Amino acid sequence: QESVATPKRNIQLSNIVEECANGRRVSRVLELTPKKTQPDRAADDEPITPKRRGRPPSIAREQPVVLVDEEPKTPKRRGRPSSAGPSLSTPKSASKMKLIRSGAIKPNIHSRDAPVEDGANDLAIARERLHVSSIPTSLPCREKEFDEIYNFLESKIYDGCGGCMYVSGVPGTGKTATTTAVIRSLQQLSDDEEIPKFDYIEINGMRLTEPRQAYVHIYRQLTGKTLAWEQAYNLLDKRFTTKAPRRVTTVLLVDELDILCNRRQDVVYNLLNWPTLSTAQLIVVTIANTMDLPERLLMGKIASRLGLTRLTFQPYNFKQLQEIVMARLTGTSAFNSDAVQLVARKVAAVSGDARRALDICRRATELADDQSQKTNQEVTVSMVHVQQALAEMIASAKVQTIRSCSLMEQLFLQAVTAEVTRTGIEECNFLGVYAQFEALAAFSGITVPNTGRAMAICARLGASRLLICETGRNDIYQKILLNVSTDDVHYALQASKLL
Amino acid sequence: MHRRTRLSLRSSIVHDKENEHEEQTTPRKRRSKLPVNVIEDETDEEVVPSPKKSARKSRGRPSLPLPKPIVESEDAEQADTSWQEGSASELVGKLPEREKEYDQLVTFVENVLDKGGSGSLYISGPPGTGKTATLQRILNHGPFVGKLRPVYINCTSIKSVGSIYKKISEALGLKVTGGTEKVYQGAIEAYLQRKHKTVMLVLDEVDQLSSSKQTILYSIFEWPSRATARLILIGIANALDLTDRLLTRLKARCDLKPHVIQFLPYTKQQIVTILKSCLEATDSLARFPEPALALLAAKVASTSGDIRRALFIARRLTEGVKKEDRKNGTTTPTAVTTVSMGQVMAVLNQVYGGAQTLSQDLDEGFPLQQKILICSLMLVLKHGKNKDITVGKLHDVYRSICVKRNLHAVDQTEFINLCSLGKKEPRMHRVYLQWDEEEVSAALNDKQLINSIMDDVSCLGK
Repeated sequence: QESVATPKRNIQLSNIVEECANGRRVSRVLELTPKKTQPDRAADDEPITPKRRGRPPSIAREQPVVLVDEEPKTPKRRGRPSSAGPSLSTPKSASKMKLIRSGAIKPNIHSRDAPVEDGANDLAIARERLHVSSIPTSLPCREKEFDEIYNFLESKIYDGCGGCMYVSGVPGTGKTATTTAVIRSLQQLSDDEEIPKFDYIEINGMRLTEPRQAYVHIYRQLTGKTLAWEQAYNLLDKRFTTKAPRRVTTVLLVDELDILCNRRQDVVYNLLNWPTLSTAQLIVVTIANTMDLPERLLMGKIASRLGLTRLTFQPYNFKQLQEIVMARLTGTSAFNSDAVQLVARKVAAVSGDARRALDICRRATELADDQSQKTNQEVTVSMVHVQQALAEMIASAKVQTIRSCSLMEQLFLQAVTAEVTRTGIEECNFLGVYAQFEALAAFSGITVPNTGRAMAICARLGASRLLICETGRNDIYQKILLNVSTDDVHYALQASKLL
Repeated sequence: MHRRTRLSLRSSIVHDKENEHEEQTTPRKRRSKLPVNVIEDETDEEVVPSPKKSARKSRGRPSLPLPKPIVESEDAEQADTSWQEGSASELVGKLPEREKEYDQLVTFVENVLDKGGSGSLYISGPPGTGKTATLQRILNHGPFVGKLRPVYINCTSIKSVGSIYKKISEALGLKVTGGTEKVYQGAIEAYLQRKHKTVMLVLDEVDQLSSSKQTILYSIFEWPSRATARLILIGIANALDLTDRLLTRLKARCDLKPHVIQFLPYTKQQIVTILKSCLEATDSLARFPEPALALLAAKVASTSGDIRRALFIARRLTEGVKKEDRKNGTTTPTAVTTVSMGQVMAVLNQVYGGAQTLSQDLDEGFPLQQKILICSLMLVLKHGKNKDITVGKLHDVYRSICVKRNLHAVDQTEFINLCSLGKKEPRMHRVYLQWDEEEVSAALNDKQLINSIMDDVSCLGK
């Protein structure tokens, strides 16, 4: 059987092969051709066992049968077509893994049969352009920073010597986008042979399982082979410490530098020590969020090697945010300019994050799109939609949650606020709260739940993070802290009959 | 981690003798079976030799990382020519302003060589004072080349503390059967017992080897006291008192105690001399007037005395001059533009002027809500009695301020993002102010706002 209905989402390095080493091309149907030497291996790769296929899943769920010769597996859902022909797990055959590690096979994912058709109206175009992932060709409002990074890299590549640079700024201020744009333009120049050639490598601290995997990633991008980190480090060290004629400059971009700092800080030390050697010709650009990271986190010897080329990206102000959004919307008349200004002002007052502004605009277009589909007429994005989107994004969920709590939970919250106002301390223990709870319940003529029930109520409120409470083991002596401000509680409970 | 007592030391020596006996028999037989394929071509990266083989291949002098090139501070037109000539070799020839320490080191090593004994040495000093560069010179010192066997190991490059033995034995080219830490250690100690050339073992960044019981450091620093060791051990680190602090038990025996040499931070005059010698090497001294150099050196010497910084700033200045050259189109050497004092001041302020740049940055793009947050924090600090402030408390104050000013107050979750804290219990988290109040008020630069909020004691409530 072949499944044609749903596109599969699993990524397989092995079954889909662009170019095998022996030149054989594997078709799209995912016919796993078993090796003649290992016929039993291919059979093992079948994810389901023939024994259990006929059995209805309910029985399997009630009485899980553990067979000795195989590990127990959850029964397959019936709705899914059974994969008798193609196997859906990555084969563990050693030769395949070898090919993957040596870089002969390239990873590939399923593609659609045909591209998705999209109605080409103004709103759809605007929505596509406002997506965070679509980076414009030129970044507005970042010309100064662009020039600074460009000058640094160009002079270093031209001189053929190494160096370090540290770029910092709060999230969403265009650090990585600017740096990659600089490197793109430099690569263009080196293709035109105006400046010397250079290799470009990038690693991201958040994509590594542990700091030392950085060596593996760097080596893989240099040669295409995957090795263990120790081997990769030794080879890199040899490469950078020995003299070689005709060595080209290497530009290394290290994103999220603070993740690479472990206790010994050996990875950061090595990455910043190589540029100081005359043989390496390595230029390292590091990116992080905090301005004073080298002084706060790194050892003295590493901060000394990092040097003093620092660049700080400031948060965007509202004019710049407006310019960024308008630059993306050139040529479409989907947006009201006042609406853009409102978004820019709101975001600039809080954080100055460009991603946030783009997301809010995108949400506003979606809301306008819904309205246009309902009414069947063209709608431009106006202040109303933006207000709605802002309310969704910067909504206070806590008040809503308190309003939708059960009566007893609301009463309990009130009891906590009363206890806080009585004692004047933010932290109160369960005993005092329960006393208030009893009093409040007596006022409203409700029978009081016993302490066990009240603790269950308290635990529920703690799970939804309206309260912060200790574990229930301390029983009546556990500490309780209100996680919302007292005004919020009063405001939310005004409508209820309790007050 | 195994603990080494004296008893185990003795037993391990006995064990080493056995090892020695074994080494004469088994490994040879084994080697006859294993053909060692020596790869001549260094640049061929297709063949990936395992670390062991590559270590075995490089017999003789280890390839040492060369120190920071002198090219750092010359202007780039000459840089690319002299860089091709390889100015690093000239640097090995002489290091200005480190002659005294160099002579000390040479006499120390010569003494040890004359006696045919061994000695240990510990070199300390803040980063960027030329410790590694000086040792590179010692390793390449002419008279020593025939008599010594240099081994240079940077301790940041090892996987874990215990694998240092493996690294040393690989550097010495020992053949080791087995793979445990103890076996490698035994092999090294056996090698020291046999007849060999004097080994000069340089451990850079030696503070990386410290562990809970310091077994490794102790065992390494004990080697020179052995009868036939003939080992010169040199440790390099930043801390002045590393040997006293970590290796207290070495004080008990005088022959174990390492000789200590300190590298002091560079003074102003020394930095000037170094920069001058760098610039003379490329005949670009005309670009730097004397007072500009003096100003630069004074600033660097007063803060850290780190030569890396001085070279870096000088380089930055020359790059700036070069850019101006390009603008004016003057490439003739007669009309060179010199570095002006103004430029030096500007660069120094960029690098060292924390508060000034901070205030410049902050009044440009500083979101309003963040301003209010900092103001409310200062208000609480000024009038509140206890100095530890939770986020929840701060948020309440902030809300009341916002209500008074008719501003839209942000929600608590948003507020925590503003504080950019990532703790488990956000409302209980403490907030501290990292700067001075004067600095903040200078930075906020919005005097009216600050004054109105600072006088607003009523917002504190309760």
